[in-house]
Amino acid sequence: MTDLLQLVFAGLAQGAVYGLVALGFVAIFAVREIVNLVQGEYAALAGLAAISAVGAGLPLLVAIIVVVPLVVGVAVLIERITIAPIKKMTPLTSIILTLGVSTAVKALMLLIWGPEAKGLPNFPGSDIVLGGVSIRSQELWVLGIAAIVGYAVIWFYEHTVRGKSLRACAEQPIAARLVGISPRTATVVAFAIAGFVGAVAGVVGSPIYLSSWTSGLTMGLKGFVAATLGGLTSLRVAMLGGLALGILENLVAGYLSSGYRDAVAFVVLVLVLLFKPHGLAGKSSGVRV
Amino acid sequence: MSDDQREKFGLTVTGLHAAYDRLAVLHGLDFHVMPGEILALVGANGAGKTSVLRSVSGLLRPTQGTVKLGDRDVTAFGAERIASIGLAHVPENRLVFPTLSVEDNLVLGGYVRRKDDGYARRREEALALFPRLADRINLAAGALSGGEQQMLAMARALMSEPSVIILDEPSLGLAPKVVGEIMSALGILRDTKGLAVLLVEQNVRAAFKVADRVMVMDRGKVVAEGTPADLASDERVRAAYLGGSSTSSSGIAGPKAQAAH
Repeated sequence: MTDLLQLVFAGLAQGAVYGLVALGFVAIFAVREIVNLVQGEYAALAGLAAISAVGAGLPLLVAIIVVVPLVVGVAVLIERITIAPIKKMTPLTSIILTLGVSTAVKALMLLIWGPEAKGLPNFPGSDIVLGGVSIRSQELWVLGIAAIVGYAVIWFYEHTVRGKSLRACAEQPIAARLVGISPRTATVVAFAIAGFVGAVAGVVGSPIYLSSWTSGLTMGLKGFVAATLGGLTSLRVAMLGGLALGILENLVAGYLSSGYRDAVAFVVLVLVLLFKPHGLAGKSSGVRV
Repeated sequence: MSDDQREKFGLTVTGLHAAYDRLAVLHGLDFHVMPGEILALVGANGAGKTSVLRSVSGLLRPTQGTVKLGDRDVTAFGAERIASIGLAHVPENRLVFPTLSVEDNLVLGGYVRRKDDGYARRREEALALFPRLADRINLAAGALSGGEQQMLAMARALMSEPSVIILDEPSLGLAPKVVGEIMSALGILRDTKGLAVLLVEQNVRAAFKVADRVMVMDRGKVVAEGTPADLASDERVRAAYLGGSSTSSSGIAGPKAQAAH
């Protein structure tokens, strides 16, 4: 029983990171039907940049405060340079395009930071044991920050005029323009949000799960799988999907073999695409009802 | 008012040409809609009525000619910019935001205005025009009936307090009673708010009832123009563009009018 709880709790923390990355996929896809495969790189980039900043002598908190907005800027810049000029964007075009961009970003990270995986120092706090389950303080940080950021993003989309305007763009792009919502601005805001959640995932996860030039690939993949659970359009399902995937991975790794860990996401992806291609909620064609 | 003065207000379109890629659809239109006037645009399918609206609201960039809102040339502006300077386009098929509530649709209708800029008053005025929406204010717009969605699309357009409103087939697929409500709302807007209204309609009878002037379009050109009474009594126009006797029962086309013509 303790084992089970231990695995579930570790899975929750890891899943929270996936959930944040998944929010990034949804934040963009819900507005523009772009599948943004650069999403995982935001996390890798933020982790690596924060490690360098700390290495250069910046306090951890300052490093994070500098790096996160920087990655948001990078996300918007990449959108301006590679996405904005495309006249007729389809989901397929976006996949090919962002796959190319993510490969380029990976190569750049390899050049700058080299091949080894590194970790940020742990956030302050000491580990605790609760009912036989040992909980790392960093895991509590991950859960707490993911909860706050996830809730904030959902609140933004559901309760602010700006957030609603992004949803309007997704639902009726023509009508959105006719009430004065610029699709350009909406896209920039969506990419900024995606960059933000990706960067947060990268820095809070780095002390446990480490950062490297390839870590964006696994993070992006798992975030994508979590996002498909909600048909790429539901923020809530994406976040919960991330948590569920994290738990499932840890159970499989703990009870079967840790070698199967990364296969879990693929199996889930295949099952979702086979049986519930529009997400677990089962609505066809996402937001465009 | 002289013509020069008149053109400082309302909507003025001069020498309008437009095309989809290389297919030209509009071949030089000129018209003016004054504040407090309803101009109806009728004609067969494919005559270019919707393209006129799209060119005016900035969804389609004209290839030639100018579009002026008041004395401001907006020809080169995009739709979202034109929306912010006083023109509201109620699109074909309503295009409400389906998963958002009626309230949120109204909020976004006023997107170009600041919320502290009389939101409560604008909302109240829009709902006064269509009281049925007030009962459904928290419902998702997609759950409304067709008629209610049309009302919402119009209420949403009014939330920006436009000086010019253009509507694309607001009566499409609606019951006659609802069409009556929509058209009388347009009359109210013209009379109380002094809006300049450009109305594209297939429902010629309804359009002729409410319009002050009518333009008949065919293959991208204006082929006839006048008051509803003038046009309804013009045998040639009736036969070719208005579907024969469809307007005669509207009470504006009698033998007398024909004789006078």
